[in-house]
Amino acid sequence: MPLSSACWSHLADGVRCLSARTPNTWMLLLYLLVTACSQPPETASPALHQTYPPQPGGTMISAMPSDPSSLISMVAGESASSAISAHIFNALLQYDQNLDLTGELAERWEVSADKKTISFHLKPGLKWADGHALTSADVLFTWQLVTNETTHSPYASDYQLVTQAEAPDAHTFIVHYAQAFSPALNSWAGLQILPKHLLQGQDVHTTAFAQKPVGSHYYQLKEWRHGEYLKLVKNPHAALGEPNIDWLIERIIPDPAAQFLELMADNIDSMNMDPITYARIIPSRPALQARLNQYKELGNSYTYLGFNLKHKPFDDMRVRKAINLAIDKQEIIDGVYLGLGVPIASPYKPGTRWSNPALTPYPYDPQQAKALLAEAGYRDTDGDGYVDRNGQKLSFEVLTNHGNKEREKTVVIIQRRLKEVGIDIRVRSIEWASLITRFIKTGDFDAVVMGWGLGLDPDQYNIWHSSQQKPGQFNFIGYHNAEVDRLLEQGRVEFDQEKRMHLYHALAEKLYNDSPIVYLSAGYGLTAIHKRIQGIMQPVPPAGVGYDSQKWYIPSPLRRTEMQAN
Amino acid sequence: MFRYLLKRVMWMIPMLIGISLISFFIMHLAPGDITSTEAAFDPKSSEESRQKLRELYHLDKPVIVQYGLWLERMAHLDFGHSFASHQKPVFWAETDKEGNHTNGMIQEALPVTLLMNVLGLVITLSLAIPLGVLAARRSHQWQDRAITLFNFIGFSIPGFWLSLLVMYWLGVLHPWFPISGLHSLSYDQLDAWGKFKDLCMHLFMPVLIPAVTGLASVTLFVKNGMLDVLGQDYVMTARAKGLSEHLVVYRHALRNALLPLITLIGLSIPGLIGGSVIAETIFAIPGMGKLFYEAVMMRDFPVVMGILTIGSALTLVGNLVADVAYAWADPRLRKGIMPT
Repeated sequence: MPLSSACWSHLADGVRCLSARTPNTWMLLLYLLVTACSQPPETASPALHQTYPPQPGGTMISAMPSDPSSLISMVAGESASSAISAHIFNALLQYDQNLDLTGELAERWEVSADKKTISFHLKPGLKWADGHALTSADVLFTWQLVTNETTHSPYASDYQLVTQAEAPDAHTFIVHYAQAFSPALNSWAGLQILPKHLLQGQDVHTTAFAQKPVGSHYYQLKEWRHGEYLKLVKNPHAALGEPNIDWLIERIIPDPAAQFLELMADNIDSMNMDPITYARIIPSRPALQARLNQYKELGNSYTYLGFNLKHKPFDDMRVRKAINLAIDKQEIIDGVYLGLGVPIASPYKPGTRWSNPALTPYPYDPQQAKALLAEAGYRDTDGDGYVDRNGQKLSFEVLTNHGNKEREKTVVIIQRRLKEVGIDIRVRSIEWASLITRFIKTGDFDAVVMGWGLGLDPDQYNIWHSSQQKPGQFNFIGYHNAEVDRLLEQGRVEFDQEKRMHLYHALAEKLYNDSPIVYLSAGYGLTAIHKRIQGIMQPVPPAGVGYDSQKWYIPSPLRRTEMQAN
Repeated sequence: MFRYLLKRVMWMIPMLIGISLISFFIMHLAPGDITSTEAAFDPKSSEESRQKLRELYHLDKPVIVQYGLWLERMAHLDFGHSFASHQKPVFWAETDKEGNHTNGMIQEALPVTLLMNVLGLVITLSLAIPLGVLAARRSHQWQDRAITLFNFIGFSIPGFWLSLLVMYWLGVLHPWFPISGLHSLSYDQLDAWGKFKDLCMHLFMPVLIPAVTGLASVTLFVKNGMLDVLGQDYVMTARAKGLSEHLVVYRHALRNALLPLITLIGLSIPGLIGGSVIAETIFAIPGMGKLFYEAVMMRDFPVVMGILTIGSALTLVGNLVADVAYAWADPRLRKGIMPT
């Protein structure tokens, strides 16, 4: 169980604050015990600030919170699994540092004139880590595997749109679609190609290959101690050339406080962290900060307040806009995320081409919110501080998933701001599975604070199209706008980036004007990496810190001496 | 004796079935299944694929049918395969036709938890008994008060908080012990002695901290038992005989005072396989507590049921062992429960 961040964040300040609050003899004793010990030898060696030329070798140790279930990501589906398998397997395409598609295993690709056929040409001389040749037969096999009736992949639907796939020669792979489908290219950047010669005739759900995979990417799995660590070693046959760092070790440490202690003791080189650790705890320890580089990058995700548009009064756009204007997003970002987030105006990552630069986030304007409520017929007629219409107080319930501290705090801030414009909300946090099955799936809710984590393709058909409202589908707020439907459909058949961009800018504008959800914030992903890891791209490219990690290197004077991976 | 044991063992079968039935239904009362986890809420995934998964695992069938399927498998001692973890076997290791060996999930987690708990129990007992005796002998003197205070503190401190402090103290300020994990990264390169030492170093904090904070109840138990016995006539007789205080306390009194402890230990047998979620999470140890907690959160029904079944079977066995051991240790009881 992850400890609440508030509990352990104080740890870093020692027991000082706790003993100050509770003047208990025993704690005082412990306090003396701990503080009497001198500070740890955290003297950052001056060599850390020196830049060395790139050189191969060394071991990088990171921490992640949970063990992957399987390294075949098409059936695993959780982030721990894809984090590891992304080091081991290649896809046909990848995103470059500016988030444009480029070839990975494919050297180039062509889209036919009718947009229904895509041909991929593989790079020459590709090999699996065991020395076997990697050919288009492997790609065809992987497609057959993901679309197979007996393979239960949550991501199969994009590949099922392929009506026919063929591998006319060892370097060519051709897919035919019944109709043009532009997110297809993104889907081929997401499908990790698996070796036919090792997986043919096996059940992908039970195969031992998932525990000892053979891939084509920079690293190979060397050792996996379940629940403890995974060791990856450089793949000599890597399709994209050799990385600098010899060994990657991922330690499984579920508790963020324990991860942080390991970072302090210099047993791990990098960890992802929450805003408190990033913005408060590390800066309060200069010696620790001196040997770390801290990075923040926007993720493809955001939190929102979503309305059930089938319920009154959310069918009234003025009410939705009033609520949007009454919420101070910056206050939430500052209070909950310690400023480590940005307000957004469209459902795309700010700064990318898909995000419409003409839109600015809804301002905090309680006066206009009140005016809009009045226009919709909501006034405080009985003087109880809450607006009402036809004797009915404007009051509703906001649900969020229990245990997500950020969202729970966000809802409380929203509650206070809405009260100021006369709207009464009740807050309820519910365990995730209950929230989904009892409330979201059945449509039995007024409003929710939840988040979307999105891919790099701008297609959001599943979220906004009016046909996606059945139980279990993702347009559970019941959004229906014929114009938006049309834009989403056009976006799915348009391959031209420029034209596609305009379609999604128009989509964002429609959503902005309709305000079916209130965008609350897009939070930064926060990472600290030890300075012994050099060659990290600065400033962080749009593709993120981890982009180009094969070029990272650990200068030999800075390597750990006592610990060698092998 | 044998007939009595046989009768008790036979009784366990209907009881186990009853327990498993109740557990199965309670588990299914919680909303959601493997397809409603947070990872499944990905707009790239489709409802059809989730429905297919529900069919694969028979989650679309009525609970009673699912229970029947489970019971049928259990009749062959087949604990099934995990839903969430790549269909790994829940309990026993399996070997597929290519000779690949896959360890069972409980099989992997159980030894660690068992080792930690047994060590913890030994430490707790070897500290609690002398402390309890001391507290009883020096009742209402400073030794007793100090022990009571110590117990009181140990009982009230949140374990995770103390753990983090000790981790900071012995892992960061003075890097004497590893902070988390069970094996060093270089474990495989160590010789047997090095491996043993490595394991001991890793187990030091996760075993010692719960053992010390858990001392309180056992110490109190021993103390109260001892106080009871010390007031008995035969202790006075022993003293009157002129026996040394040592003989009186350790030979005459302690043996009787420890009788209730047998029950306590018997009842703690099922606890030996149930790890502490909090300790295992903080110290990053892949034991039973974490396995169970994650299985519940993922709605990984076969794993949840597997652990519950083993837990309830051990509870019944623990009761039996406690009763038999008690009868063995206490002749009064032996005569009472086993008529010829």
